[in-house]
Amino acid sequence: MEIAGKVKSAREMGLVACRRCTRVWPGGTPTCGRCGHRMQSRDTTSLQKVWAWWIVGMMCYIPANLYPMLVTRTLVSTQDNTIVGGAVELAQHGNYGIALVIIAASVLIPIGKFIAVASLALGVRQGSRLSSARRQQLFEVVEYIGRWSMIDVFVVAILSSLVQLGALASIAPGVASLFFALSVIFTMLSAQSFDSRLIWDADSDDATTQPSVNPSNPNGVTA
Amino acid sequence: MSDSPPDVPVQPARRSFLQRASVVWIIPIVALVIALAVAWQSYAERGPLIEISFENASGVAVGQTELRYRDVAVGLVETMAFTETLDRVLVGVRLDKSVADFVDDGAQFYVVRPEISAQGISGLETVLSGVYIHGVWDTEPQGLQKRHDGSDDAPLSPAGQKGLTLRLRAAADATLTEKAPIVYQGLEVGRIGNATITEDGNAVEADAIIYAPHDRLISTATRFWDASGFSFSLGPGGATIDFSSVASLVSGGVTFRTVVSGGEPAKDGDSFLVYPDEGVARSSLFSEEEGRSLDLTAVFSDNVSGLAVDAPVDLGGVRVGRVTSLNGIVDKARFGDNRVRLAATLSIRPGRLGLEGEAGKQDALDFLKERVLEGMRARLATASILTGGLKVELVMIDGRTEPGVTLDTTREPNPMIPTTESDIADVTATAEGVFERINALPIEELLNSAIGLMDNLSRLSGSPDIRAIPADVRATIADLQAAVQEARNVIGSEDIQALPGRVAAVVAELQTLVAQLNEEDAAGRVLAAVDAARDAANGVSEATVGLPELIASIDEVSRKAQALPLEDMTSEITGLAADVRTFVTSDSTQALPAALVASLAEVDALLSDAREKGVTESLVSALDSTRIAATDVSAAFDEVPALIDRLNAIAAKAETVPLDQLSVDLSELMTSATAILDTQGARELPENLGDALQELRRVLTELREGGVVANVNATFDSARVAADTLADVARRLPAVLDQVRTVLTRTSGTIAGYDANSGIGRDLASALREVQRAAGAVSALARALERNPNSLLFGR
Repeated sequence: MEIAGKVKSAREMGLVACRRCTRVWPGGTPTCGRCGHRMQSRDTTSLQKVWAWWIVGMMCYIPANLYPMLVTRTLVSTQDNTIVGGAVELAQHGNYGIALVIIAASVLIPIGKFIAVASLALGVRQGSRLSSARRQQLFEVVEYIGRWSMIDVFVVAILSSLVQLGALASIAPGVASLFFALSVIFTMLSAQSFDSRLIWDADSDDATTQPSVNPSNPNGVTA
Repeated sequence: MSDSPPDVPVQPARRSFLQRASVVWIIPIVALVIALAVAWQSYAERGPLIEISFENASGVAVGQTELRYRDVAVGLVETMAFTETLDRVLVGVRLDKSVADFVDDGAQFYVVRPEISAQGISGLETVLSGVYIHGVWDTEPQGLQKRHDGSDDAPLSPAGQKGLTLRLRAAADATLTEKAPIVYQGLEVGRIGNATITEDGNAVEADAIIYAPHDRLISTATRFWDASGFSFSLGPGGATIDFSSVASLVSGGVTFRTVVSGGEPAKDGDSFLVYPDEGVARSSLFSEEEGRSLDLTAVFSDNVSGLAVDAPVDLGGVRVGRVTSLNGIVDKARFGDNRVRLAATLSIRPGRLGLEGEAGKQDALDFLKERVLEGMRARLATASILTGGLKVELVMIDGRTEPGVTLDTTREPNPMIPTTESDIADVTATAEGVFERINALPIEELLNSAIGLMDNLSRLSGSPDIRAIPADVRATIADLQAAVQEARNVIGSEDIQALPGRVAAVVAELQTLVAQLNEEDAAGRVLAAVDAARDAANGVSEATVGLPELIASIDEVSRKAQALPLEDMTSEITGLAADVRTFVTSDSTQALPAALVASLAEVDALLSDAREKGVTESLVSALDSTRIAATDVSAAFDEVPALIDRLNAIAAKAETVPLDQLSVDLSELMTSATAILDTQGARELPENLGDALQELRRVLTELREGGVVANVNATFDSARVAADTLADVARRLPAVLDQVRTVLTRTSGTIAGYDANSGIGRDLASALREVQRAAGAVSALARALERNPNSLLFGR
């Protein structure tokens, strides 16, 4: 990243790119002349959106873990299982593999996402020990992996639609499944709201702190 | 570049917070508001937590077991804990707010579990779904009660089912079975609850419910009886087997009927007695017309048997009640020792106490209380001498007015009446003495003696000596005939011919004499004399008690007599008779008629004299003397037993007399007599003999007048009548025996009909076997379900 300092961002060069059709326009252009998309060099409310979605996602994640995910009803008994409880029960029955998958998909990944998104958002403001490139990678991973958290919800949906044997046995989605789905959706939105260009801005800001007094940038675009 | 003005840091005007804030923030705010609203709502709608304590909470699970009302879930078990002393389980149930106000003091809770009983299977659904707690409460909200006692069994009245709650009490012979149905006309209209033993241990009590609308069948005139099992009765109408329903056959049951109209409708909590069977129940209705009975308890410290249930309770000889139950009690704290005492429950009929007006229980109690203060006590007394049965007597004991002894009305369940020593006649001992004496009578010895006597007599008559007697006797008779011939010759003489005239004269004299006697009321005196003689005869009959021994002695004597040389004696007698003949044919004898005539003349003269000299008066006095004598004899015969003893002694001595010697002497005597007859003195004998004949005739006459023959005839008649009666009785015996045998045959036939291998017995046995098999199957099913509830699901 040594060359990073020498790289000038489009913004520094007074340009702004359309985020829909990627056409580059001079800075200050309000809308894209080609596709009509609203032009914005940086999303000023990006971090707000991230945090807002993040909080809603977190709020949904708490009941998703407290309430039962799956209600298994047989003739003899009714069993309510929370996510962690179900995984622990599976582990007790020896199904460590499945328990690990559930733990990974339903606990580790969502929590990891929360941490990752939060650290990315915090890193924009306060800097981070990680380099910008690493953070970009992290962001891409979070975005990619976020959708896979829905696997739990899919499993619940499939099971409850398949296992409906009337009075003998039935599986119904618990309250937690709804909250879990919401939580996943909100964290995905949170991750999407993050304007990844902000990661790099810190670098260029560092680079431009000195040239900021440089008169060679008389018409610095402040967008 | 340097003259250019320094860059003024241009800060864009800071926009307000609202301008900068993204619209997205609305979402977390909305989410927060929703979450808070939901939290508040669920908190606000949360019902109260009530605690129900159970003996055990098997099957109750936290978060799973529901509280149901009318089979609808109205709560969930939230907590489970023990009470401080660990003796009960506290189950915390989160109640729905909607029903909270109804769960008041009257609410009842029980755990519904699968139950298989004789009445059927209940709660089967809980095999699969797990147990649940069922709540029963009424429809009037009376405020929440947080702490409840749950029971393990369902309450008598199911949720919302109204009914009449009664208290049933089993009579002495009846049984009350827990949870048994109450059946009316074959329909189950009620149920018996949990049974308890009363405090005194004498009866069983149980709550019972009659479900609406059948509760209108119950009135104060209703009688309950035990319909469990089957009744079997053998009567004139044949055998009867009666059982109401199979359920009550297995588990017991109670039925009822209102026999007479006019009772008042029963109220909740009324107490009823359960009788052992319908007959007793019906009859109780009529015997209780005199009012409700008053129950008392009497504790007897005597250890006597014989008092039984239904024994009478007497007051002054009048039956005022009966004993309804008996029980032994040991109460060291009350009596000071560990002896078993007899506690009898006495049921007193107030109407029989003779109180004025409508005497109720309280009147009777007051009356008895007063009497106890005056000294009345209960005691055991002999009711039947034969069976040794006892009764309870209420008697006044004089001088028993000690203070502190009262009718204790504070005792539960009945007031207690004080008791005193029992008055039991030891009849058995007396009767035993009588029988011992009878046993001691020497009947066998008497019979043996009689048999011996008979034997000896027959041996005597069978002996050749006796057989030889007739021949000798014939010879004797021939001699006598000859003598009589001679006598006829004598009679044929002129003097004799003249006799009738004289006799006629004598008779005439006698007639006048008798006429005089009649005037003097001789007959009455004779009757008195005869009465005296009868008394004497009675004495004699009493005196004959000692006869057996006498007979034995006579037997001995006759045995000795058997050994006598009778042949010699008869030959002697024959000789004697021959001498008599020669004697009769002698001249002096021929002269005897003349002497006789003379003597008659003397008699004639004598009678004439007698008439003249007032002999009749003397005769009357003589008769008086005779009567006195007879009375004396009767008195004397009182001493006859002693006399008989003497006689016995004499006979005994006679046994020892050397009869052989005697007979030898007798023979010699005869020989001497013959010699004497030949002497001159003997020839003078006829004169003396004439006197003797006169005496003889008088004696004979007296004897005839004495009615000896008639008496003997009467005696024989009586004997014959007695024998006829006996024969009649004996004739009837076979008929009686026939009847007895017929009865026995019928009875045995009837009983054979109920033999296990035939007819109704077999049906009953197979029915019972079916019931048993069904019960076994049910229990196997229950066991299988218990072991593996899933089997229902998978069919394994």
